[in-house]
Amino acid sequence: MTINADRISGAFFCLFGLAMYFFVIPVYVETAEGGSLSPNTMPNIISIIIAISGGILFLKPTKQQLRDPRKMAITGFYVLLLVAGIYAMSRFGFEYVAPVLALAIMWFIGERRPLWLISGVVLMPTAIWFAVTQLLGRGLP
Amino acid sequence: MVDLATILAGFSDAFSLYNLLFVLFGVVLGQFVGAVPGIGPIMAMAIAIPFTFGLDTLPAIAFLVGVNKGGLVGGAVPAVLMNTPGTPDAAATALDGYPLAKQGKPLKATKMALFSSVTGDTFSDIVLITVSAPLAILALRMGPIEIVALMIFAFSILAGLIGNSLTKGIIAAALGLLVASIGTDPENFTPRLIFGYWDLFNGLPLPSVAIGMLAISEILHRLSLAHGSVGAAIIVKDTGNPDDRRVTWVEYWSCRYTMLRGAVIGTVLGALPGIGSTAAAFMSYSMTKASSKEPQSFGKGNLHGIAAAESANSAVVGANLIPLLTLGIPGSVGAALIISAFMIHGLQPGPLLFENQGRLVYGLFGAMLMANFINLWVGQLGLRFWIKVVSAPESIIFSSALLLCFVGVSMATSGLFGVSIMLIFAVLGYVMASFGYSLVIFIIAFFLGPRFEKSIAQSLSLTNGDLTQVLKSPVAAALLILSLVSVIWFLRTNVKDNQG
Repeated sequence: MTINADRISGAFFCLFGLAMYFFVIPVYVETAEGGSLSPNTMPNIISIIIAISGGILFLKPTKQQLRDPRKMAITGFYVLLLVAGIYAMSRFGFEYVAPVLALAIMWFIGERRPLWLISGVVLMPTAIWFAVTQLLGRGLP
Repeated sequence: MVDLATILAGFSDAFSLYNLLFVLFGVVLGQFVGAVPGIGPIMAMAIAIPFTFGLDTLPAIAFLVGVNKGGLVGGAVPAVLMNTPGTPDAAATALDGYPLAKQGKPLKATKMALFSSVTGDTFSDIVLITVSAPLAILALRMGPIEIVALMIFAFSILAGLIGNSLTKGIIAAALGLLVASIGTDPENFTPRLIFGYWDLFNGLPLPSVAIGMLAISEILHRLSLAHGSVGAAIIVKDTGNPDDRRVTWVEYWSCRYTMLRGAVIGTVLGALPGIGSTAAAFMSYSMTKASSKEPQSFGKGNLHGIAAAESANSAVVGANLIPLLTLGIPGSVGAALIISAFMIHGLQPGPLLFENQGRLVYGLFGAMLMANFINLWVGQLGLRFWIKVVSAPESIIFSSALLLCFVGVSMATSGLFGVSIMLIFAVLGYVMASFGYSLVIFIIAFFLGPRFEKSIAQSLSLTNGDLTQVLKSPVAAALLILSLVSVIWFLRTNVKDNQG
């Protein structure tokens, strides 16, 4: 049996569906008296469908190719950068974090041209600040 | 159902200067972002939705429609110049547009794309305006049992048509429904799957899920591709001959049957949920090539090739709104985003919309027609500028788009909690796309989830839990049989494809 993308995701969804049905939904869905449809009916049915479909996919996979793992690792790096950005925004505010976040993203992409860097780090955050706070009268994160 | 006075009032609302300015702004923005490879109108709509909060409903929806329509025109620019479609819809346009650009006629190619796009779009809008009200009257006769059957049919079609595997389509739809069940259940209003986060009591915020899945996940993918390389500016060749910079009336008129065929294909396919504009464009292109006396000239810069692709892919946009406005079922991600804009403004799309908000619906129709004219006008003036836009580096585009998403979602959800949810769904969207799961099905199922469950609950109440009563409704029974037939048919097709 060869390992391919569908076997991995099929196995995951099969286990996910079962875990939802047996462990998560019984704990995190409150029961209620009355009504024609219990609160846990739909999530339970959906979980069973996911588990069965995952099992079928595991047994009958297509020729799905996974994206380049190196590219996926790079994506993981950018996700961490954004998580750090959100955390920093919660502490220091958008005005201070946005230029740094924009600089980090542009720098990691490979941008070194000063004019474009200035545009991305200074002009764009300023334009967003102006549009949101001055024109729309709303607050920034 | 809707009287003439309401229709006229709606159109007059649409033609007010205030609304026209928003349509204009939407079209300009749409053409601009469409011209940028990697952004596209869907991402632009997703980002723009939170910024429409402060607007009245009609200008907000008209603005988003303008972005969607403008994006299709703009998407042809990188397809023609770089052979890199700004939107998947424009992939067929590149087949003849790019060879024409290489011959030093980029403006001729982009202008043909513009004219045929506006022609196809206008055709489908007229069909939408003509058929949606009568269809809504029929839809109003449907009860919850028929609605449940209709949704099951829509899910079966979506799961089978989008992607390469019915099983994966079902998983994507089920996952969307599961995520939609987070919050309170529609019958007893008890909390479900909120894991102690009371911010989730009203369910997951639509903007966070939509922007995370559609915009951020795509940006993350594009960032990984762009990592370490900065996009180089392209050089656009031009012959210098004025005739090569324009499309003459004779050239346009010679493509009339091609555009009509494309518009009909786009309208028919657009009215069915799940069949996107990319499929319409390629089908129209193939049929035009097959019926041509010079099929060998296709792929070498034939104007008919551009006209076929663009008229079809643009015709899908208007037709996508037929199931949305008459049944409340979005046929595409663009339509799903428009649904979310409706819901954000407190409206539930569906047949009752004509009865309760007739003036708004006809205002939307008026705005759509005006958007076509504005699209033509802005395209004529702006194509030269959009040709320059394709050379903007991805570094500034993606960093700016990310900041806009952060701000937009924060505004829509009142804080960074919504932004965190957005990032979670961005990762989920990226992983799903990496494993070949359709985000379109997920999003549509997520939007329809609460209504689906509510309709099931109502059906059970009406039938006292006796499911055999469903078969007493001929419409519901027919739809369920059709669902079963389509599932079997798609399963057989999948098996054949995988064996081939």
